[in-house]
Amino acid sequence: MAARPRNLQEARDRSRNNAELAWWVFMRVSGLFLVFLVFAHVFVNNIAINVATVDYNYVATRLAKPSVKVFDTFLLGLAMLHGVNGLRVVIGDNIRRPGLRFWVQVVLIVVSVGIFVAGVMTLWAFSYREMGDAIRDLTSGH
Amino acid sequence: MYRGREGQWAYFLHRITGVALVLYLMLHVFDISLVMYGPDGPFNAFLMFYHQWPFRIGLVLVIAAVVYHALNGLRIILLDFTTWGIRYQRVMWYTVLGVTTVIGVPVLVKILPEIFGGA
Repeated sequence: MAARPRNLQEARDRSRNNAELAWWVFMRVSGLFLVFLVFAHVFVNNIAINVATVDYNYVATRLAKPSVKVFDTFLLGLAMLHGVNGLRVVIGDNIRRPGLRFWVQVVLIVVSVGIFVAGVMTLWAFSYREMGDAIRDLTSGH
Repeated sequence: MYRGREGQWAYFLHRITGVALVLYLMLHVFDISLVMYGPDGPFNAFLMFYHQWPFRIGLVLVIAAVVYHALNGLRIILLDFTTWGIRYQRVMWYTVLGVTTVIGVPVLVKILPEIFGGA
């Protein structure tokens, strides 16, 4: 495995295609935003309060605020893209058999999309009670 | 094993914390999404399970991983986008470790009594 590109020009020369170059740039730009988003998120929910006091009411009250919905949407989107792309690169570096590597990455993408959709639904559901009822109806076959 | 110096350890730690954080992220989003089942759903039971002390120690490690990964990420940005970054990569890595400790100690002082104080 070749050494990691050391700067933008090297990354541009080294990348096999524009998509990999775009991901290389994205990891740095999203990382910069995530430093602030994640630090604020961790401070508010885990350091400023005792995390043992977090329960349904805390989460439902918090997620009902429009400001939290917008903030957490950026956090969720950037963190999932940054994290899943990172995991894709790690899988690419460490799983040598092409067939196995392909299927592990397929599973990763499918699971990630599912979790991302669940996250967006959680943030933007009009009412958690209604959403819960809807899911129960769906899963019980009504 | 390749006997690298600080740069190699910086890379190793960045990978390991990154993988740990994305796995935590997925579990966390799944867990929080259970609020969609309403107050009588499985959300509180799930959360009570994770309020047990071993998981709360795990959460402290997640915070440590976040701080290291964030600060070392800033170091990588400086390496890649400045002309002087590579020259100072080693001293910047020790700075990352130092600042991680400076942030980590007060966080531990705040959180450890909450876990073991029986409050």
